[in-house]
Parts: sequence; structure tokens; C-alpha cells
Amino acid sequence: MSIRRRIIIVVSGFAAFAVAVMIWAPTVGSTPISLARAFDRSIAWDDNVDAQIFFVARLPRVLAGGLVGATLAAAGVVLQALLRNPLATPFTLGVSAGASLGAMLAVTMRLELSVLGVTSIPLASFAGSMIATGIVYALASSQRRGLSTNVLLLAGVTLNAFFSALILFVQYLADFAEALRAIRWMMGGLDVASYFPIVAALPFIIISFAAFAMMTRTLNLLSVGAEAAASRGVEIVRAQRLAFISASLATGAAVSLGGPIGFIGIIVPHLVRLLVGSDHRIVLPASALFGAAFLVLCDLAARTLMSPLEIPVGVVTALIGGPFFLWLLVKRS
Amino acid sequence: MNLFRLLPFALRRLPFAFCLFAAALSAQAPPKRIVSLVPNVTEILFAIGAGPQVVAVSNYDVEPPEVRSLPTVGALIDPDTEKILSLRPDLVITYGSQTDLQGQLTRASIPFFDYRHGGLDHIMVTMRALGARTGHAEQAERVARALQASIDAVKARVAGKPRPRTLLVFGREPGSLRNIYASAGRGFLHDMLVAAGGQDVLSDIDKESAQVSTEMILARKPDVILELNAATRLNEADLKAVVDPWLTLSSVPAVRNKRVIILTGPGMTVPGPRVIDGIEKMATALHP
Amino acid sequence: MRDLLSADNVSFRYAAGAPLVVDGVTVRLSDGALAGILGPNGSGKTTLLRLLSGTRRPTSGRVLLGNRPLDQFSRREAARQIAVVPQETELAFEYRAIEIVLMGRHPHLGLLTVEGPGDVRIAHDALAATGTSHLADRFFHELSGGEKQRIVIAAALAQSANLLLLDEPTASLDLGYQLEISSLLLRLNQDHGVTMAISTHDLNMAASICRELILMRDGRVLASGPTAEVLTPENVRRLYDVEADVQVNSETGHMTVVPVRRIK
Repeated sequence: MSIRRRIIIVVSGFAAFAVAVMIWAPTVGSTPISLARAFDRSIAWDDNVDAQIFFVARLPRVLAGGLVGATLAAAGVVLQALLRNPLATPFTLGVSAGASLGAMLAVTMRLELSVLGVTSIPLASFAGSMIATGIVYALASSQRRGLSTNVLLLAGVTLNAFFSALILFVQYLADFAEALRAIRWMMGGLDVASYFPIVAALPFIIISFAAFAMMTRTLNLLSVGAEAAASRGVEIVRAQRLAFISASLATGAAVSLGGPIGFIGIIVPHLVRLLVGSDHRIVLPASALFGAAFLVLCDLAARTLMSPLEIPVGVVTALIGGPFFLWLLVKRS
Repeated sequence: MNLFRLLPFALRRLPFAFCLFAAALSAQAPPKRIVSLVPNVTEILFAIGAGPQVVAVSNYDVEPPEVRSLPTVGALIDPDTEKILSLRPDLVITYGSQTDLQGQLTRASIPFFDYRHGGLDHIMVTMRALGARTGHAEQAERVARALQASIDAVKARVAGKPRPRTLLVFGREPGSLRNIYASAGRGFLHDMLVAAGGQDVLSDIDKESAQVSTEMILARKPDVILELNAATRLNEADLKAVVDPWLTLSSVPAVRNKRVIILTGPGMTVPGPRVIDGIEKMATALHP
Repeated sequence: MRDLLSADNVSFRYAAGAPLVVDGVTVRLSDGALAGILGPNGSGKTTLLRLLSGTRRPTSGRVLLGNRPLDQFSRREAARQIAVVPQETELAFEYRAIEIVLMGRHPHLGLLTVEGPGDVRIAHDALAATGTSHLADRFFHELSGGEKQRIVIAAALAQSANLLLLDEPTASLDLGYQLEISSLLLRLNQDHGVTMAISTHDLNMAASICRELILMRDGRVLASGPTAEVLTPENVRRLYDVEADVQVNSETGHMTVVPVRRIK
């Protein structure tokens, strides 16, 4: 089988799975609805509870889940290759800590602004993630030559710890109710009930995915080693910059949409590599598609398992992800 | 021989006897220096006439205005034990979860009053208990009765009227319908809503509060959405900004019939003497 | 014979203020050359290879590929002519041998192009040339040291470059593999016309396959020229501070270097 055929067949398989999940997910939920009624245009919108549950409560939620899941999984793949470390996550380099600090400040300062239907907390968290990215980037490229992945990793981990301390500090100063709201935000949530935040995050994610698509073969070479990649024709510094910036941009947008939902960015790439090997031309799109399906399914569990109560979706991914990851470690060693 | 047999018994009884003695002592002398770490209890103390005995309050105390000039000694999760001890209190109002602080107070032989939030009735219970404890039993009884009477008056006014199915929202991400928190099947907010003649749409959830998804709101179809807002008052534009996100859920009767009502004013939901304001406002909103 | 790759008085330091690791080095690789670069640890061999492959730019001096400065080539263009076999290959993820070899095709492919049948054929030829066809579908990390090194050489061959720079290709191999790799390199040079520069610590391997030698110490060239002229006891002593016997087998012409003792 030619390489092109293999890529197309495997990725199509993952795409079919993701599409099936995305079509099925909005039809189920804590309340039984009639799809016939939901799609019946003859019923006035304001009277059509089924349609509102489908189009206002569930569909944006499923779309947000798909987008966030795909982005976090793909960003995980890119950062793992960039740092040549299979344990890296989209949150390793401080993006999520920056986002959380931004959200935390928006909550405690009671910011109430809104740009194009995007409200203060997503805006502030996106701003926070970009500031964190900027700081890490500046630190890692302060050396004369290019971008040092070691410094990148060190700066990211340190910034994570520092921002976490700031988060605790702000939380300590905050009111009880505010602190609780910020903590809740950090558990992740996809009940966006509006298409605006999705549309707002989309351009950043599309740009990043376009960059991802162009760097898949380069990621393979980076996995073999920077020096080896350079000798095979990769402009290393440019490639590393592009990988870091696009992955951070995508992660920032995803986190501002759904909160810092953990484990997706590490379990999904690992699982996909177990299934299809390490060729990033397959791993990257397959992880994005599988990540979308995985998060949508986790959110489905979050909104139905304990109904009428909701489980924060980040708690669901962690409850599935933690044991899965331990199993993976034990199995490998 | 008999005496020896009695000794262990007597020893076992000694702490109990000591407690009785201490209780008798405190019953004789009401506390003169009260430190309150619980804002709504501070309000109750002032309402029952024990205000002059209060020497320090928590960081979050603002009502009544007299407390604003008092020293502060931390709050629920970070009580400043050293400062509390240095004030030489003879009664400390603690919240039930402050077990560390309670242990330290016990070791320092400082009596404390252990408060926990409960339902609406618990306010009157607390008033009476504090009255007995601080030497204001009579005034406490008067205040408790008056509060109960006002609540009963509201209940009588709404009695027999149809009870609108109500979603009582007390937290939400600004400008959106995300992370909505509402009162559920029990607790103080639930009791207020029932007293005001409403029926909680989340009454089947046996919790004081619940995060509620948009799907749940659409499915439960509340007739009224009451949303608590901490602002003292909202102008036209602010009010519109607060209400607008709800318009997305146009199939919900509350939205369709323009019965999304924002209740403003701080202290509405403080379990203390001001609770009647909140109940009155809810009753007026539910039964105009 | 024209120079394929030459370094003209190049110097290099890794950071401003750091000492020069390569100091005014001039080397020429003519078409079809098989040159060995010898020198003690830290003499600048690896760095010189990096300068020659263009993955690092000299601080001063210049490297010419043909008669054009190497830094005027894009990385892709350079990689189509110069392939490198690094000292060690540490994978971050698990790849099969064939995948590693196919990565050598990178400079010949467009941004979104996938390797076609032609590329796959070249990769298999490279495996055949290194005697590793049977390893194609094995995982790289499961291979032995010698097998890994041959796969990496195959990947460099798949790059279809006429220049191959090898950094201590036999460093971590046992005697059998060392012999295997050196005969492979000799064959590639003689049968496939690949021009090579090999940095190595193995004087005997260098003596047996390299036609010319470059001796480096402290970033400078100590001596260079045809193997028989350069590999003298005097030069070995200056290079390593080691007293050595250099013997020439009068029948085969093979040179053997036997270290006797360390001076100082």
C-alpha cells in the first residue's frame, strides 16, 4: 500500500468515527427530545423546546467539545515532537496557567466587558495565555541562536509554577464565591449556550491547524533529532518557532473556550500512536479527530451520568485519563 | 473499701462536674468581649442588643455600619488566631468547619459559639441561642418573634395563590449563560423562595445549590427566573446587559413572558435579620 | 579534480565570548574523495562537520559547495547535496527502520507532498546498499547498535546526496560491526561514487579506508594530505601525545598504528 493511501485510509477511519460521535452526541442528553419536532420548521422557534434544547443547549456544546478536544490533542502532538518528550502536554509550557490567571483576575475584578459576543472571562484567559506564551518565548529565544527547547521546557515549567502561585494568591484575596467560580472555571466546561465563543475561537484554531498541516513531516524529523533534521533540510529555528507559536495560539484559544481541560493533550496522542505508529502525517490528524470524539464523549458522560447534576468535564477527563495513563506506564515498562 | 471503689467513678465524673461549673459560671456572667468570625451572626448579635459586647469581627463584616470601625481578625479559612487571643475574648463565634481554631480556643480555655448555616428557621433558633448566651434572652425573643411574624405575614399573603415554578439563580458568568448556579432542594435560599410563594424547579435535587445546564433550564421550563445581583441598583443599560443572555432561551416560559427578574441589593441573602427584605422582594416579584 | 566542498579559513565559536572551537581551518573535498578527520576529543571534528554540512554557519571564513557559498543555499537545497550521519540517533518516538530511511527524502519533497513510489524505491535501494533490507519493518529501537548505524547511513543515502559527512560512525560498535561499517563506506565510495568525510578515533579504520586525512587539534589543522604521508609516528605523537608505531604491510600496503605509550 502506498504511503499516501495508508494516510488517507487511516485518517478517514478516524474522521468517520469523529463524525459519527458528533452526529450522535447532540441527539442524547439528560432530557429525551423529539428530533422530528426539533427539526420541524413549522413550529415557531419560541415554542419549540426540542429545537432549543438541540440547537441552543446541545449543538454548541458538542461543537465546542469537538473543537477544544481536537485542538488540545493536536497541540499535544506538536509540543511532544517539538520538545522531543512524549510526556509533554499543551499545558507544559505555561499556556494554561496564564489562561487560568487571566480568568481568575477577570472573576475577582468583576470585569464585565464583551467583544463580539465574547465575554470577559474567555477574553481575559486568552490574553493570559498569550502573555504566558510571550514570556516563555522571550526567555527561550534570548540566547543568541534560535530557540532552545531545553530553556523552553524549563521556562514553561517555572512559569507554570509561578503563575499557579499567583493564582493561589489572587484566590486567597478573593471573595469566597469568586474563588469558587474561578475554581469551577478551571475544571473546564463546555455548556457555552451560544455560537459566538466558538466562532471567536475558530480563526485562531484554523490558522494554527494550517500551520500544523504544513509541519507534519518536519515533526517526524524533529523527533529524530534537531541536528539530524537540520541536515535533512529543515530550517530548525523557523520550524521550532512555528510549532511553539501555533501550538500555543491553538491551546490559548481552546482553553479560553472550554477551560483548561486536562489529559486530552496527552492520552489521545499516546493512544493514537499505539494504534497507528508515530508518523505525524497520521498521528496529527488522527489525534485531532480522536480528541474531538473523546472530549465530546466525556462531555456526554458529564451531562448525563449524574443528571440532573453536571459533572465538570475536566473531572471526567481526569477520572478516565489518570488510570488510563497509569495503565499505559505499567504496560510499557 | 467503698471509698476506693468510688474513686474512679468520681474521677470519671470530674470533667463533667467541671463543665457544669464552667457553664454555671458563664450563665452567671454574660460575655463582655465577643469576637465574631461569621458576618451574619454579627448582624444577629447587633439585632438582639449584644452589639456593644462585640470587640472584633471578620474581614468580610460590613453590616451594621458600627462594625466597620472594629478590628478584624481574619475570616472563615484564615482566622488570625494570635490576634483573636490577644483581644482576650470571653466568647468567640466560629463557623462549624473551623475545627482547628476551635481546638486552639479550647486549649486556651476560651468559650466559643459553634454556628452553622441551616434553613430559614435556623435564624430564629440562632437568635434565641445567642440571646441566652449573651444575656439578651428577652430582646432576642422579641426580635425572633417579630421576624417570624413578618415571614408569616408574607406566607399568609401568598397563601392560596398558584406557586410559580421558579429558578432562583445566585451565580453566573457575566454576559453569558455559563456556570449558572441556582438554589436547589434544601437550605436557606430554598426556604426563602418557598416562603415567598414560589416553587423551586430544582426541588428534586437534595442539595443547597446546583450548577444547572442550559439543557436543564430548557427542560424544566421555569415560569419565573429570579436572579440575585449583588449590585445595590442597576440602571437601564446594566439591567439589559444582565437580562439579555437569558433571551436565548426563548422557549422557557419565564423568558417568553418576560418574567426574568433581577433582584438587586446586598444582604438580601444574609441569614440574619435582613432576610425579610429578600423574602419580601421575592414575594413581590413572584406575586406582583 | 574539482573541489566539491571546501572550507576556506573557517572559524567558529558557539556563543559570543566563548573560545573558538574551529580556528582558521581550510579543508578541500574533491569529487570522489574519502577523507578521514582525526583528532582527540574536543579537537573540533564534530563542529567542522557541522560547518561543512551547513547546519552551523562559520563565525568567519566561508564554506563553498561547488563554487557557491554554502550559506546561499536554502537548507533544502543544501540537504539535497550533503547528507550527514550523526554520531548518535536518539528517537523521541518509535519509528520503523523504513520510516527513518524515508525521512531522508525530506529535501526532495514539497511541503504537503507524500513520498511516491520513486521515493520508496530509493529508500529500498538504500536499505539494500547497507545490507539492511530485512530490517525495513523492524522498530528502530529494537535494532542492535550496528544495525541502527547502518539504518542511519541508509537514511543519509536516501537523501540522494553526492556528499556524505559521517561523525564517528563506528564509535560505539564492536569490532565486527566496525569492520562491517568501514567496508560498507568503502564500497559506497568506490561503487556509488559518494564523496565522504569521516570523523573518527579509529586510526586503523582511517588508515585502511581513507585516502586522505585531516588531523585536527585544538580547532586547528595539524596536517592534511594523502594518508601515507600524513599518518606518521611524528604526527600521531603531535596529535594525541602518544608514542606509536606505524607499520606498513609491504604486500597489501595496509597501515597499522600501534600505540606504545602516552607522553606527558
